[in-house]
Amino acid sequence: MISTWRKLREKGVIGINERNVMFVSAKNPRRFMRRVDDKVETKRLADIAGIPNPELYGVIETARDMKALPALLAKPDGCVIKPACGSQGKGIIVIDGPLREGWRLSSGKRITRDAINHHVNNIRSGMYSLGGQTDKAVIEYRVKFDPVFGRISFKGVPDIRVIVLNGVPAFAMLRLPTAESDGKANLHRGGVGVGVSIVDGTTRCGMQFDRQVVVHPDTGETLTGITVPHWDDILVMAARSYDVTGLGYIGVDVVLDEKRGPLLLELNGRPGLSIQIANQRGLRRHLAAISALDVAGASPESRVRLAQKVYGESYEGGALAPAPVSGKPVLDVLEGGLASAAA
Amino acid sequence: MKSNALHATALAIFLMLVGASIFLVKVVRFDYPVRPGTTASVWTVEAFIDFRARDEPARIDLFIPTQAAEREVTGEQFYNGPFGLNLTGEAQTGNRRAVWSYRFPSNRKVLRYSAQTVGESPSTPLPALFRETADRATPFEADPVKRQAFIVWTQSLRRRSADDATFTELMLTELFGPASRRGEEADEQEVLLKQLPPPLDRLELARQTLASQGIQARIANGVKLIDDTRRAETISWLEYRVGNEDGRFFPDGTPSRFLTIWRGADGPLKASGVSELDFQIAVSSERSSAAALARRAGARDAPVATFFGFGDLPLTTQLVYKTLVTIPIGITLLVFLRQFVGVQTLGTFMPVLIGIAFRETALVNGIILFSALIAMGLAVRFYLERLQLLLVPRLAVVLIFIVIAMAGVTILLTGSNQSIGLSVSLFPMVIITMTIERMSIIWEESSASAALKQGVGSLVVASLTYLVMSNPHVEYLMYNFPELLFILMGMCVLMGRYTGLRLSELWRFRGLANS
Repeated sequence: MISTWRKLREKGVIGINERNVMFVSAKNPRRFMRRVDDKVETKRLADIAGIPNPELYGVIETARDMKALPALLAKPDGCVIKPACGSQGKGIIVIDGPLREGWRLSSGKRITRDAINHHVNNIRSGMYSLGGQTDKAVIEYRVKFDPVFGRISFKGVPDIRVIVLNGVPAFAMLRLPTAESDGKANLHRGGVGVGVSIVDGTTRCGMQFDRQVVVHPDTGETLTGITVPHWDDILVMAARSYDVTGLGYIGVDVVLDEKRGPLLLELNGRPGLSIQIANQRGLRRHLAAISALDVAGASPESRVRLAQKVYGESYEGGALAPAPVSGKPVLDVLEGGLASAAA
Repeated sequence: MKSNALHATALAIFLMLVGASIFLVKVVRFDYPVRPGTTASVWTVEAFIDFRARDEPARIDLFIPTQAAEREVTGEQFYNGPFGLNLTGEAQTGNRRAVWSYRFPSNRKVLRYSAQTVGESPSTPLPALFRETADRATPFEADPVKRQAFIVWTQSLRRRSADDATFTELMLTELFGPASRRGEEADEQEVLLKQLPPPLDRLELARQTLASQGIQARIANGVKLIDDTRRAETISWLEYRVGNEDGRFFPDGTPSRFLTIWRGADGPLKASGVSELDFQIAVSSERSSAAALARRAGARDAPVATFFGFGDLPLTTQLVYKTLVTIPIGITLLVFLRQFVGVQTLGTFMPVLIGIAFRETALVNGIILFSALIAMGLAVRFYLERLQLLLVPRLAVVLIFIVIAMAGVTILLTGSNQSIGLSVSLFPMVIITMTIERMSIIWEESSASAALKQGVGSLVVASLTYLVMSNPHVEYLMYNFPELLFILMGMCVLMGRYTGLRLSELWRFRGLANS
């Protein structure tokens, strides 16, 4: 046990205590936390800053708003109902499309009007919110995900989580739904996390339930060596989320829509630590390197180039070098980053 | 951030130093014992009277123990407030009363009496008054029906006994034994019972019966001396002298130590001109009483002892604090288990509250009760899910169900084991309701195993905190050295800055260590 402890220390693996003391409470002023804890507020800020996100159809807050619910749900392409202040994917319903006297869920099951009303009322009364306070139900555009991950996901929508420190993307991971996670991309429910190189957006290694995996448990496809499209755009979105929220340590969740490209799904002020397992690396050294950077006044684009440079340096020749890059010229990115950091 | 860490460490060290220095001063300079004594010798009995005055002359009569050779009262204190105090004695019964009076009292008033005594045991001889022989008394002279019944009943007893000793034994068995052994004269007994609250009615009949045979007998009243009793019930028993033998008969079982306060069939307290009267008697023994410690240390340590101790508070309040000061120990343990071990619990402080509830039920009963209530509550919660109720009404339904279930458990258990049945009422039902709600959400959203894991985790933490909080040494230390709270506070501040891995995270990240 002591040897495990020592090895984890050497690798710079951080725990919940360290995350809470050194990053969440030190970097995230409590008064700004509402910007990430309330999804309606996050959307509003993202819209102002021009960060693309799933279109908001409506918010159900009061009993009067309930009358508008059937109209909001009458989208032929489906929609998503989620609690504005929910956490860990609790209380989210994905509607595939209308049926007679009800709707079809993405899981294929049918849901009646009564059951939907009950669910929305539960959301409103705060059943899924963080502190149990009353909440609002958010109804938004249902993402049609990019088929690039079709072979390595099972139902549901895969998303990309980027950890951003001081506006500099630090670690990234691709989260894939599985049969076990019931089509949800949350890791604690059995979703698969795949580490993604910040430099070029290629997948490196995977994990499920805190154990390393090589292939997707349902589709059997290899998880490594896939390049996430629009990678630089995703990183810029993540970096800009810092400017929007003023929070120094956040998890940025991005989905890839077939037509609209990367969309900001939500922000998390207390991002989890499984990303270390997915990347097979501890966060501490890399976060320390980013903390040492002077990024005041730097543009999101230049911060992304800086992030890619620091990431490349941190893991060059390390125990786990980035997976072989397929086709994309890494050098250009790095040089561009150097130039803009110098400027 | 560095300065934050430094600040926290400095604060923690300061708090711990303050706590440790007061503790050391008490132990080294004033010889406070750090371990509870083995025997309890001196008991403190405190009567506490709380009432609302009605703006009219008020008078409170309270029986207080008499100074006597066989039960020495070593000290007495009266807290009178504005009331006038008068002590009266009755030569015939040996009773003693404190009479508090005031002409125009208003609002709430509190009167207190406390006494220090070594108490009595069942082998303590009866007072000298009993040495005199008594004349035969003939009760129920006025009522021919009762008189007849009394003669039937005593004649039957006489026929079936050999002497005064066997007569007494037979009479007590038939009066107080189970219904099957009440004898053939059960109807006569019923007729003869006076309108008195049980067991006084039967004790009074026993006294009259013995007196009719020329046997000295009296009803005595007092309290059992059991350590840390906040609301001691007054008990009544029969004292008699057959031949040259002193005898006591306790209808509810013989206590090992007790204090006789008054004799006769009257109640402990008479009050006029007041309303909302609350009367309680608290009992504690010297080994747990900070007051006794302070007394032993003498006047020289007055500033330290009176400031960092509970000795000056009323005994009932002292007993409340005795429980309260152990809670921080449980909380500190909980913080350790969460920050260093990483145990997952339902709700932050819920395990400590359950642990406090275990104090009343004891561990095994508590765990069984808690699990049973949670299981039943979950079943109701899952049933209600189908009715699609709103959150708050649903919580209310579950809470009401929990109250009903607890009432059911109490009624069921009262027959077999009274102590469990009574203490269940203190189980924190709001906490249980919230636990059920949290568990059912985890159950639906994650899995049954995750819900059970957290439930069992909470139960383990609750049991551990209970074991620590109820440990007599811990209780003694925390109560007599409340400055240790500063040390606990300092420890919690330090743990709040702990940034290392938790034990559970070593397991979680073990794959990373070996890659």
